[in-house]
Amino acid sequence: MTALSPGLDRALQRLSVEQGLAAEEARLDAICQGESEFELLAWQPMDRALVMPRRHERNEGFPEARHTLRKLGWPILFRATGGTPVPQCAEVINVTLALRCRVGSSAAHLEWGYHRLGNPWCEWLAALGVSDADLGSAPGAYCDGRFNVRIGGRKLVGTAQRWRRVRGCRDMALLVHGAMQVDGDPAELVGIVNAFQEAVGDPQRFLPGSHVALTQALPGLEVESVLPDLLHRLADREEAA
Amino acid sequence: MTTDIAVPQDLWEGDTEGVITSWLVNDGAEVAQGDLIAEVMVEKAQYEIEAPLSGKLGIVKEEDEVVEKGSVIATLES
Repeated sequence: MTALSPGLDRALQRLSVEQGLAAEEARLDAICQGESEFELLAWQPMDRALVMPRRHERNEGFPEARHTLRKLGWPILFRATGGTPVPQCAEVINVTLALRCRVGSSAAHLEWGYHRLGNPWCEWLAALGVSDADLGSAPGAYCDGRFNVRIGGRKLVGTAQRWRRVRGCRDMALLVHGAMQVDGDPAELVGIVNAFQEAVGDPQRFLPGSHVALTQALPGLEVESVLPDLLHRLADREEAA
Repeated sequence: MTTDIAVPQDLWEGDTEGVITSWLVNDGAEVAQGDLIAEVMVEKAQYEIEAPLSGKLGIVKEEDEVVEKGSVIATLES
């Protein structure tokens, strides 16, 4: 594996949601163009938006829902990874890995990608004193999947991926992303997603009790002071590969 | 000559099904080899499907249809 590249950002960046999504896309592009084999980005929104895959735009009620959410102060933006609507705001820290995977190796699978992000995340939580962190689904959570980072079965980090062929060969570029609510009340963010659900005419509603914020599990934690350890764990695993 | 565009067998592991989330070009459009033409989602992972060669695209599987690895999703007339 290559030595650390300039794209290995271990400091938390504060960006608008639009800038953050663009920065993630730029990391994936760097892998696809062969300019890098590993990128790491951590960013925290300076503003807020409800972020979802573009396919939601096809819903009949989407224009009205977009108008409703804008009036609530939550503009809708689109992202490149899969899943369903997720709120992005100052209470959320995003960590994104982008890396090159060789087809035919164990690393060219989506489960590997989720563990590549999620296992160091759970180890980091254990080092902070959280004894019941693991990967799994959180029924009732918005944008649920099989590979959330959970505390006590509640969703702390939502994860998603994007895969793209590396230009000129069969290798794949993987972007795997985690969004962690660090503080605030999860009920407020669940309420925004449920407001979208109602506005778009989807009867599914999500449950605040299926989510947890990091400072609920670790009251008084200064997240920014411990975040570098998470980023080191994610990067060091790459250096040792 | 007509060429099938199938979901690559090595795109993900296991027998999990995916969903075509977006066609990025219209039915009947001319595409060039390597153009990004569609997105397939599996387990919150978006995979990009590229045109394997240049030609006129014929969509076989519509958006929101379920697909398996190896499913023919479109054809190309070259």
